[in-house]
Amino acid sequence: MAKIGVFICHCGENVGAKVDCTKLAAAMGEHPGVAVSVEYKYFCSDPGQESVKKAIRENNLTGVVVAACSPRMHEATFRKACAEAGLNPYLCEIANIREQCSWVHTDKDMATEKAMDITRSMVEKVKRNNKLQPIEVPVTRRALVIGGGIAGIQAALDIANAGQEVVLVEREPSLGGHMAQLSETFPTLDCSQCIMTPRMVEAAQHPKIRLLTYSEIESVDGYIGNFTVRVRMKSRYIDIDKCTGCGDCITKCPAKKISSEFDCDLGKRTAVYTPFAQSVPNIPVIDKANCIYFKNGKCKICSKTCQCDAIDFAMTDTFVDLEVGAIVVATGFQVQNNSVYGEYGYGTYPDVINGLQFERMASASGPTAGKIQRPSDGAEPQTVVFIQCAGSRDPSKGVRYCSKICCMYTAKHAMLYAHKVHDGKSHIFYMDIRAAGKGYDEFSRRAIEEDEAAYVRGRVSKVWQENGKLMVRGVDTLLGRPVEIAADLVVLATAMIAQPDAKEFAKTIGIGYDEYGFYNEAHLKLRPVESSTAGVYLAGACQSPKDIPDSVAQASATASKVLALFSKETLEREPVVATNNEATCAGCWGCVLACPYNAIEQKDILDRSGRIIKRVASVNPGLCQGCGTCVTFCRSNSLDLAGFTEKQIFAEVMGL
Amino acid sequence: MSIEQQYQARAKELLSGGAVKMVIGYGKGTTGNRRRPIFISSPDDVGRLVLDDSCIINLSGYLVSEGLLSDEKRVAVFLRPEGIRAINILAAESQLDADQIVIFGFDVNDNELRALKGIHVEEFADVIGSIRENNPGFADKELLEKIEKMTAQERFAFWQEEFAKCIKCYACRQACPMCYCRRCIVDSNQPQWVNTSSHSLGNFEWNIVRAFHLSGRCVECGNCDRACPVNIPLRLINHKMAVEVLGAFDHVAGMSKTQEPVLASFKKDDSETFIL
Repeated sequence: MAKIGVFICHCGENVGAKVDCTKLAAAMGEHPGVAVSVEYKYFCSDPGQESVKKAIRENNLTGVVVAACSPRMHEATFRKACAEAGLNPYLCEIANIREQCSWVHTDKDMATEKAMDITRSMVEKVKRNNKLQPIEVPVTRRALVIGGGIAGIQAALDIANAGQEVVLVEREPSLGGHMAQLSETFPTLDCSQCIMTPRMVEAAQHPKIRLLTYSEIESVDGYIGNFTVRVRMKSRYIDIDKCTGCGDCITKCPAKKISSEFDCDLGKRTAVYTPFAQSVPNIPVIDKANCIYFKNGKCKICSKTCQCDAIDFAMTDTFVDLEVGAIVVATGFQVQNNSVYGEYGYGTYPDVINGLQFERMASASGPTAGKIQRPSDGAEPQTVVFIQCAGSRDPSKGVRYCSKICCMYTAKHAMLYAHKVHDGKSHIFYMDIRAAGKGYDEFSRRAIEEDEAAYVRGRVSKVWQENGKLMVRGVDTLLGRPVEIAADLVVLATAMIAQPDAKEFAKTIGIGYDEYGFYNEAHLKLRPVESSTAGVYLAGACQSPKDIPDSVAQASATASKVLALFSKETLEREPVVATNNEATCAGCWGCVLACPYNAIEQKDILDRSGRIIKRVASVNPGLCQGCGTCVTFCRSNSLDLAGFTEKQIFAEVMGL
Repeated sequence: MSIEQQYQARAKELLSGGAVKMVIGYGKGTTGNRRRPIFISSPDDVGRLVLDDSCIINLSGYLVSEGLLSDEKRVAVFLRPEGIRAINILAAESQLDADQIVIFGFDVNDNELRALKGIHVEEFADVIGSIRENNPGFADKELLEKIEKMTAQERFAFWQEEFAKCIKCYACRQACPMCYCRRCIVDSNQPQWVNTSSHSLGNFEWNIVRAFHLSGRCVECGNCDRACPVNIPLRLINHKMAVEVLGAFDHVAGMSKTQEPVLASFKKDDSETFIL
C-alpha cells in the first residue's frame, strides 16, 4: 500500500505569504495514501532535509512529494536526501507551488486551493512511480575547445595541464582572438601581446593539445561523454607540414592593397597572409577572394618564391571527425558596426573610429607602429573626443545591455593618448562610469587625476566636419548646458555584440541563446559556466560581454567542470529514457525521424529461421535524452518515457 | 476494347504468368451502382472485375493486411490518384515495399473513365504532382464556405452537434488506409486516454485524435466519409487539416515514396507561428 510523505515548504515568505501551508498540510494529510503531511520553513536546509529522511525511515514511506520551488531548483537536492534514507530517488517528486503558484497569485485562498491541486496531482503520480536505476555510459576523455581567443586558450591549457587531451579549434588562420588585437590592458597597462603570445605558443606546443586553426565546426552529434564532432579544415592552399613560415610568399605577393581585418581596416595586407606577425601557427593562408591567381588564372608568384614547395592551389577543404567527451564553447564576440549612428559620422568621416581601431593604432605592432594618428591625413590629433555607450545601453539604435568593458577601455585610451601625445587633450562623454572590479575605480580615477582626461557627463547629439575639425555637440548634464568641442579625432566606445553567426552555431551544437545571440547558461547564478546541454560549457564573451580577467576565470571554471567529468571512466545518466513496446509498434518509424538525438534505430524482429516477422523501432538508452518528442509523435502509443509514463501522467492529470 | 476489358486482360496475363499473386479490384455490389472490393487470385476469375465510374473506394488499405506482402510476392491493385498517393505514404512509413505493388491506375473526370499509364508508383508522379498545383479539394463547396464563415463558437457548436451523432463504431478507422496500427490508441486502456463511451467528451477526443493522426497524411479519398453510418462529414476535418499543413509546411501528402512525414520531420526554415 502506498505510504506517501508530503513535505510542504514555506520557502520563508516565498510560499508562506500566499499559500496557507498549515491548511495545505492538513488537506494533504486527509488524502488517501498519504502517511505523513508536514510543513516547515525551509525543507532544503540541513535540518529540513534531515526531517525528510527521518520521516522516510520512521514511516517506511513508499514515495515522497516535496511541495516547494521548481524542480529545476531542488529536485536533485531532495532526490539525494531520499536516496540517503534508502528510498529510490525516482520515488521523490517536487510539486511546484512557488513559481507556478505563490509567486504568480495574489489571492491567498485561491492560491491555497491551487497549491492543493498541484500537490494532490503529484501525490497521485508518485503512487505510480517506479524505482529507476541510473544508466552508466562511458566517457571519452578528450575535450573540444571551440575558439582560440584568450578564453579558449586558457580552457585548453588548464585541461591539458591536468593531463587530458584537448582539441582546440579556431576559425581564423591564427590563435589570438580579440585579445591579440589589443594594445595595453587595463588596469595594469601591461602589453596585451606580451602576455597573450606566450600563451598562444604554449597552447600550440603542448603535447596534449591538438590545434586546428582555420577550421570550423561542421556538425555535433551525441551527448555528454560521447560527442562526435565533424570539423571542416578550410583549405589554406598552403601545406601546413611543408611550410616553414619564412614569409617570402607574403613579401612577394603582388596583391598588397587588401584591407586588414586584424587591423580593423586601418592597415593593408597581401592575399597570402598571416593576420599578424606573431601568428600561431606562423603559417599563412591564401585569401581566395583576393588572390590574383584565383581571380585571373595567372600569377602564382608565391608558388615560384616558395622554396619548400608548400603552395598547393588545388587544395580542397578536408574534414576531421573527432570523438570528444566534453565541449567548451569560447567563440567570443564582435563589435557593433557604428554606422547605425549616422549622427556620429562613423563610416562617413575617416577620423571617427571605434574603440578597437584605437587599440590597433595604439598597439606597437599596429599599422601606425603605436603612433596616434588621424586616419585621414596622418596628423597627430591634439584634441580627442571619446564617446562612451555608442551602442550600449541604447534600446533605440544599439543594444539594451551594458557592454561592461567600455568605461575601462575608454579610460585606458585616454591614458595611452596622454602618454603618447603629452600636450593632447581628451574629452570623454559618459553616462555613468562603471568601474567595478579589482583596481578598476583607481584606474579610472588615475585617468582623470593624473592624465587629465576631461569627463563630461552627457550624450553627444551630433558630429560634423568643419574646417578640418570634427565638431562634437553634446550636453553637459551636470552643468546643465550644451557643449561643443572641436576635435581632431573621435573614438566611439562601441557595443560588444554576439558573433553574427552565433544563433546558427548554437543550433549546430544544440545550446540555447538569448535575444541578443549570447549563449544561455544553465543557471545564471548557480551554474554560470554550463550550457543547458549537458557536457557543453561556456567560456568568455560568447555568453555575455566580459573583460579579460572574467573570461579567463570563466575559462578555468569550464576546465574544472570538464576535468570533474573526466575524473571517472563512466558517467551516471538519468534513467529518464524512452522505451518502445515492440508488440504494438506499427513500425512507421516516424519516431526515428522525430528524435532530435538520433537515439532511435530500426530493428528487425526475426523468427527462428531468420525471416523478418516485423520491423519495429528501438531506443538506444545511451543516446536518449528523455525529451519525450517520440512519445508525443507515436500514434499507437507504443513509446513511453520512464519517470513520465503515460500511466503516471494520466494519474497526475486526473489528480487535479 | 473498354478500359474494363483491357484491365481484365492485363489481370489475366499477370496472374497466369505468376507476376502477381493477387489482384485487388472492384466487383458488383448488392445494388445496381454499388461496387465492392474483390480479391482475385485465379486467372479464371478475372471476369468478375468491374471498372466504371462507380468504383470509388480506395483499395490501398487492403495491402497492409497482416502477412499479405511478407512473402515478397507482388500484388496488383486498382487505384485512383488518391489511392496512388496512399501507396506513397504507406511506403514512406515503411508499411509496404512499393516495388511489390502493381498499379491498375484509373481516374474519373466528368463521369468519364480514364486509364492512368504506369505500373509502379513512381511512374504516376505527373498525375499526382498535378494535384499539388490543381488540388480538387473538398467537393462540397457549399458546406466548406458555410464552415469558413462561422465564428469559433459557432464552429464548435457545429462539430458538437455532428459528433453527438458518433456511436464510436470506428468504421472510419477501419475504412482508412492510413489507420494501420496494430493497436489503436483508443484500444489502449492502461491508461484509457480516450473515453470509450459514446458521450460528448469521448466523441470529441476520438475525432480530434483522428484528425491529428491524419494531418499531413490524409489523401482525402473519402473512405471514412462513406463508411460513417451516421453521416458525420469526416472528410471536412481532414480537408481542413490538409489546408493547414500545406500553409504551414508546404506539404502535400503522398507526393513521393520517400517523402518525410510532415509531423516527424523538422526543417530549419519551418514556420514557427504556432509556437506561442
